[in-house]
Amino acid sequence: MKQSFYLAIKYLVFYKFRTSVLVLSIGLILFLPIGLQRLIAESEQQMLLRADATPLVIGAKGSSTDLVINTLYFEQEEIEPIKLLEVEALNSTELGYAIPILSVFKARGFPIVGTDLDYFSYRKLTLINGRNLQYVGECVLGSEVAKKLGLSVGDAIVSSPENFIDLAGVYPLKMKIVGVLELSNTPDDTAVFTDLKTNWIIMGLGHGHQDLQKIEDPTLILKRDSTKVTASSKVFMFNEINAENLDTFHFHGSLEEYPITSILFVPNDVKSATILRGRFGAKEMEEQIVVPSAVVENLLQTIFRIKRIFNMVFTLVGIATLIIIGLIVVLTLRLRKEELFTMFTIGSNRYKTIEIIGFELLMMILLSVSIASVLYGITGFFIEEFIRQFII
Amino acid sequence: MNRIVVIFIIMILFSCGKEDAKKTIIKNEKVSVITVNYPLHYFADRIGGDLISLQYIIPADVDPAYWNPNEEELSLYQSTDIILVNGADYAKWMENVSLPTSRIVNTSASFKDELLPLKNVASHSHGPEGEHQHKGVAFTTWLDFEFAIKQAEAIKDILIKKLPKEKLVLDDNFNQLKEDLEALDKLMLEGASKLKGVNVFGSHPVYQYLSRGYNLKIKSVHFEPDTFPTDEQWRGLERIVDKSQENLMLWEGKPNKKIENKLLELNIDILVFDPCANMPAEGDFLDVMEDNLIRVRDRVY
Repeated sequence: MKQSFYLAIKYLVFYKFRTSVLVLSIGLILFLPIGLQRLIAESEQQMLLRADATPLVIGAKGSSTDLVINTLYFEQEEIEPIKLLEVEALNSTELGYAIPILSVFKARGFPIVGTDLDYFSYRKLTLINGRNLQYVGECVLGSEVAKKLGLSVGDAIVSSPENFIDLAGVYPLKMKIVGVLELSNTPDDTAVFTDLKTNWIIMGLGHGHQDLQKIEDPTLILKRDSTKVTASSKVFMFNEINAENLDTFHFHGSLEEYPITSILFVPNDVKSATILRGRFGAKEMEEQIVVPSAVVENLLQTIFRIKRIFNMVFTLVGIATLIIIGLIVVLTLRLRKEELFTMFTIGSNRYKTIEIIGFELLMMILLSVSIASVLYGITGFFIEEFIRQFII
Repeated sequence: MNRIVVIFIIMILFSCGKEDAKKTIIKNEKVSVITVNYPLHYFADRIGGDLISLQYIIPADVDPAYWNPNEEELSLYQSTDIILVNGADYAKWMENVSLPTSRIVNTSASFKDELLPLKNVASHSHGPEGEHQHKGVAFTTWLDFEFAIKQAEAIKDILIKKLPKEKLVLDDNFNQLKEDLEALDKLMLEGASKLKGVNVFGSHPVYQYLSRGYNLKIKSVHFEPDTFPTDEQWRGLERIVDKSQENLMLWEGKPNKKIENKLLELNIDILVFDPCANMPAEGDFLDVMEDNLIRVRDRVY
């Protein structure tokens, strides 16, 4: 047996290229279905983890999937805004507490998420550098944002104009970075967190400018009397908030009427959640309330169906590949006819020949399985990063 | 054998001590409370007492409504369990800072529909397309003692929510405070009745709720106790003063002699009515209000 093994190895090593091609093909065919299975299982787990960690989401009536994707994964799907006063209405039910979310803008490709400090304590987000938000105009970066943009505490990041057609519609705001969050392996890692009011300033609902009562330049003032000044559009709006101009920032109108994209509601207990959902069901409130885990599970059902299709395709491809490999082995044996005759002539009986060829095939299969295992193991290292980048 | 018994006894004693320490630690974790002005701090102290950990960090020489906390002070607000706010646009600094909404308790929420809009506020708008008034409301709500009671009740309710086991004590403390505030209310009604026929002015627009709550029809100007008003300001006052009638001007603090003399020339008496927005140098909120109301009732000018 040792001799057969030796001869088999020597043969495979001699025909390196052919051996490598066969081993890689079989390895890939073995890896693809199990790799995909792992990817889908991990994605399901990640998405469900995030959804399970969010008890209730409230937003305008419409697509519940878009609402959940916007609120949990900050994908900024187009959804109708609701008003901030809904937060107070929900808090007054005393069934839990409401955390407002406003996710509309981006900064260098990363979503800007306006919220309040309750969000950080609810999600148990901790800082690795700096401090949390204190004043409007400040932001806290997710760990991936800081890493990819090479930014840290003390630097600044500017919000992107909403679209190039309407540059005047939003106000690019230079935000001071005051903190960087620890890696959490959630979509929070790729977000730029600000206070709600900072987002409203970007929207143009709030701004800061010189004291109009003190302006002397007549081209800046359209009309003035003892109690009111009407400013022209020439008045310069500050695009950065600092200690000197912080007091000049103000909002026109009532903040209660200002928009947010959704509300994350944390009920006191299961009973409170059920009561609140009942009130929405009874149309006591105009918005919709969704349970994120239910919405994500529905979404995953669709992915599960696609997975079955992929598995079927891989199986068919696998069968075809094995047939081709079988054909190659048979053709190889035909080509080795003279070699096999020589072995027979020098004293190798039929069983020995079969043993040698058997070892060759066994080693190729073992090598293929090893390659598939290595690929599966490597997938494990990068799968979370891959899911965060391309799926969630 | 004896050694084993001794070790066993020591272990029991050690574990008991640890439990006591644990219980002590739990007991010492009081609910922390912070406020945006002194009246709320006083109410919280009267109601919560030793059950809460109450902080007051506003410097003595500032008006809390216009105070701006620094980073360290703001961190204290952010880390406190309950932030009691006055509502009615009080504490302008809150407009531009980040605070955990779930911990903020607006003590005037129950009567927000009764808040008084500010008149003659300097405002501005952008562009000719429309007016964008700075909509503000008057914020010295506690000067109407019925509102003060409602604000104290809001504090009681949140403390009961946080400390349900102490409901009886909190209710009892609140009832005592309520009695005191009702006594102030009664005293003020008495004083207001003695001001019938008197034109009452406010040196500063901070007496709106006092005016409405006690039917005083106070007209306000914008004088400062240490700054002699301009000629235009005096002319504005003269336009609304009826020299043939009795006139009285309420001041947050005693004005300087020059202002006093000028007012007397216009037949305007001076009465100090301290809104007590910040912590007094002596006494407490109740003492300051009682002094105010005794001066009103006894017409001590």
